[in-house]
Formats: sequence, structure tokens, C-alpha cells
Amino acid sequence: MQVLKMKRGLLWAWLIAMVVGGILVWGTAHDAAFYRDPIMQVTGVTTGKTTKETDDFHNVDSQTKQVLSGKILNGKYQGQHLTVSNVYSYSRAMDQKYHVGSQLFVVVHSRNGQSLTATAKDSKRDTTLVFMVWLVVALLLLIMQFSGFMAFLSVAANGVLFFLAIVLNGSTQGAQVLWIFGSLAVVFAALTLWLVIGANRQMLITFATTLGGTAFSIIVALLVFHVTHERGMYYESMQYVTQLPRPLFLAETLLGSLGAVMDESTDIISSLFALKRERPELSANQVFKSGRQIGSTIMGPLINVLFFIFVADTFPMAMLYLKNGNSWGYTFSMNMSMGVVQSLISGIGIVLAVPLASFLASRFMDKKKVTA
Amino acid sequence: MSTITVLGLVLLILMVLVGGKAGAQSFLALILNFGLLYLAIVLVAFHFSPLIVTLVVGMLVLALTIFMSSGDDLSSTVAFIASAVVLVVLVLLIVPVENWALVQGFGPEDSEDLEGLSVLVGIKFVQVTTATAILSTLGAIAEAAMAISAGLSEILEQHPQVSTTALLGDGIAVGKQIIGTTFNTLFFGFFGGFLALFIWFTGVHYSFGEILNDKIFVSEILMILFAMVSVILTVPITTWVMTRAVAGQRKRAAKQENN
Repeated sequence: MQVLKMKRGLLWAWLIAMVVGGILVWGTAHDAAFYRDPIMQVTGVTTGKTTKETDDFHNVDSQTKQVLSGKILNGKYQGQHLTVSNVYSYSRAMDQKYHVGSQLFVVVHSRNGQSLTATAKDSKRDTTLVFMVWLVVALLLLIMQFSGFMAFLSVAANGVLFFLAIVLNGSTQGAQVLWIFGSLAVVFAALTLWLVIGANRQMLITFATTLGGTAFSIIVALLVFHVTHERGMYYESMQYVTQLPRPLFLAETLLGSLGAVMDESTDIISSLFALKRERPELSANQVFKSGRQIGSTIMGPLINVLFFIFVADTFPMAMLYLKNGNSWGYTFSMNMSMGVVQSLISGIGIVLAVPLASFLASRFMDKKKVTA
Repeated sequence: MSTITVLGLVLLILMVLVGGKAGAQSFLALILNFGLLYLAIVLVAFHFSPLIVTLVVGMLVLALTIFMSSGDDLSSTVAFIASAVVLVVLVLLIVPVENWALVQGFGPEDSEDLEGLSVLVGIKFVQVTTATAILSTLGAIAEAAMAISAGLSEILEQHPQVSTTALLGDGIAVGKQIIGTTFNTLFFGFFGGFLALFIWFTGVHYSFGEILNDKIFVSEILMILFAMVSVILTVPITTWVMTRAVAGQRKRAAKQENN
């Protein structure tokens, strides 16, 4: 009976999640009224002729013209019909092919007589974004329940802090980027660990390890930069840079390694606390040894996580470089070298955190020892 | 020597000092993974299908990462099978979502970097972006699968007779412990990488609506969300594979006893 009740509760939870998801997706597909830029819904497409294109590197592509007819969904032109011409290529790296039902932002130029003239600007993407956010939150709550909620809460809280820091950085013209994100890292770590572990001794030790490991990795990196005169680092290859690249790069690296070091020290230290609870007779040295053992099995996979995040992102641009007749070495330098440096620095932080976590846990775990 | 070489050497020395032979192995796995990633890019540039290249490279990366880290046979095998299943499920999710989101290729923010480059290269960028999204989650899948299966095999060691239904509950419990910190690894990893982009958005005063529909922003956020989905799915899938493996082992043991 109890089991049946629980199963029915679960069924309801899944059902509610589905309905909420449906409402959200439907809602964002019909939210044009909230936008200031005019949005057009495509009701008809006529495809024009396709021309073959060959570039200097013998890459063969094609471009196709299409004429879209539809109506404006919002703003002062709401309900008016218009036609817009659009060109798309086979590869579609910078352009878009639209279908009946597509929603896109348009720029309206003028009104002459009955019809509007406008050009297509970009596709509307908020529906997909909302769908994926819903999917993550629903899965998290349904599978992980309360822990899932806490994980979501800590990510949301960090997201808000991150946004505030970026605004602060903007108001100082980026001069203080390293200080802002450095001190933010401290707040991030404290907040996250408090939400995940709670306010206790274990959290304090994990907090100290996280800060220590991250700080050490940055110090080692700066030393290596100094010795090698930053040879083979191409700051000009960083994307979207609007301020001094070097401090920005360090701030990016600092944030990137912070999460992984925190993850790792949480794992090591909570296992050691559990171990000590089960076998209180263990000496500090034995605890240190098992900490090192746990740490050395998880450090490799963790470095990998960051490596794939930092380097996989450069895939499209690196491929484009190769297709434009650049050598493998130049393609690496211009696209992947900074990501590799970032992964290596984070890796150093992750490895250094292992002995640090084991040491701090083995010495400061016992309350008595500290007071004595 | 270049900065990358020296940093790599420092990392190798530290990994060997801390982890011994296991540390050296993990370092080797990292280098091989880089080789595989670069190979994938070159193969796609030679017009091999991006999706097939990604699936093959993805499986190899998972195998390398999981089997080259220390761990007992049962937990490594379970972790690998589970992560392969997650990879396939993830592909089934990423392909339609990327086609729906229309975030392929490059955005207006990239125009400076694209100066002098021809973008009409005859390769479907929807597939390239899909491949990128899949590759960027590989590390997270392997890590989560290994953590869950190691946790479960430890429980099995301490209570060899635990029932498979109880094991299912244990798997979710282990997952609950790691989910909070794993999410933060992903959050900081990705946001660290996109810091420059977000600074750009505030510097150029994009409106909220513009950011929510921006090609690059949506594509990057989708990558984080895919990684999070993959980690969440890894928990029940790894647990399920582990219960199947244990049930199979017990069946074989029972048969042997009968004979």
C-alpha cells in the first residue's frame, strides 16, 4: 500500500513536470509581445535558385536564395504582412535557412504604400533555451529531489553573483578584473560549500583547501610565465576580448579551476571524515595516506572534465582554420594553445589540492587536538 | 622551452609525486585525449561525417579515461558501459535540440576573428556544433560514471549480499552526494571559459532579450545544460548497469554451485 502510494506520488510529479514544461515552451513560443524588436512569423517560403561557390582553397559550397512571406507578431507593425529575402549557404556558418513556422527578428526599414520592407536579422531562440533549462531542472528535481534542489540553488546563487561581478567589472572598465574575480572566488567557494556541506568544521577545512589549491596553481603559473617569458602563449587568439587580455585570462583560469578543486576537496575530505567516524583509532598519518589514495584516483578524470570544456569549444574555429589552408601547428597556436594552458594550470591546482586536503583533514579533523 | 611544455612537465612531475604510477597513467591519458580531439578536428576537415567521427572518438576517449585510471575491474567495466549508454542517449537529445536552436557556426561577435577567413567551406556547421557540444561533455560523463560505480562497488565490498533493489537506492544516494559539487565544476568550468563573452555583453549594452536570443550565448548555455543533463542521467544509468552486472554475476555463481 505504502509503495503504491509512493509510486502514485511519483507519477503525479512526472505528470506535473510535463505540464509545466509544455506551458513554458508554448508560452515562450508566443512571447513576441514582450520584445521591442519586431518579430516575423514565416507563413510561406519560395526557394530561388542555387549558385555554386568555390573559394581560394577549393572549398565547394552553394548559396541559395529564399523569399519568406509572413506577418509581424508584435510592436506597431503587428499583424501586417511582409516579404523578406534571405540567402543561405550549404554550410550555414553565418546564415540561416528558415521554414514555414520559423520566428525571426527583422529590421523594418520603411513603409511604402501597402507593404513593409525589412531584412532578416536573426532567428528567435528563447524557446529552445527555456526547454533545455526546464529539462535540467525537472530531471534534477525528479531524480535527485532535495539534493537536486540544493544543487540547483547553489548554481543559481553563483549565477547571480557572477552577473553582479560582471556589472562591477564593467563599471570599473575592467581595470580590476583579477581583484574582482579573485575576491569573488572566495565568496563563491564559501557560499557553495555552505550550501552543499553546511556550516561546520568539515566545511572550513574544505574551504581552506579550495582556496589554497587554487591560489597555489596561479602562483605556479605566474612563476612558469616568468621563467619562460610566456613563449607560445597567444593572447591575441583569445575570443571576445574587450579589455586587457592577460588579467582577463588569469581570471578565467582562476574561476575555471575553482570549481574542480572544490569538487575534488569536497570528495576527499568527506570520505576522510566518514573513514574517521567508522574507525576512530586511525592515526593522522594513516588518514593522510588514504586521502592521497582517494585523491590520486579522482584527479585524472577531473582534469579531463576541464580539458574537454576548455578545448572542445575551439572545434569549429580550428576546423575553419584548417579548411583555410593553415598548417596544423598554426591552427593549434591560434585556437587551442590558450585552452591547453588553462587546462594545465587547473590541472596543477587539482593535483596540489590532493596533499593539501589530506594534510589539513588529517591534522585538523579532531576537535580535541586543536584545543589541546 | 615554451610555456606549455614547462607547465606540462610541472603537471607530470606533480602527478607522479602525488599519484605514483596511477598519476603517470592519468597524464598519459590526458595527452592521448588531446591527440584524439585534434584527430577528430582533422578528420572533420577532411569531410568525414562529424557525427560518426564524434561517436567513435567519444567512445575511445571514454575508454581511455576510464580504463587508464586506477579502479577495480568491475567498477571500470560498469563505468565504461554506462558512460557509453549515456553518450548515445545524449546524442539523441543533442542532435534535435541543436537543429531546433539554430546556433550552428559563428555569430556576429566572431566577425573580428573571422576576418580573412572563408566561411563557405562546404561542411554543415550544424553537425560541427553538435560534435562540439557532445565532445565538451565527455569528461563530465566519464567522471560521474566512475564516481558512481566506485561508490557502488565499495558498498558491494562491505555488504556483498545487498539486494539489487537496495543497490538502486544506494546508487541514487551516491549520486545525491556528488551532484552538488559536480554541477559547480561544470558551472565554473564553463563560466570561466565564457567570462570574456559575458563582459562583452555588458560592455556593448545588449538588452536582456538580445542576450537570450544571441547565437553564441544560446550555444554556450546549451553546452552547459547538455553537460548537466549528462551528469544527471549518468546516475540512474550507471546504477542500473551495476545492478545488471551484479545480477549476472550472482546467476553465474548460482549455476556453478548447482553444477
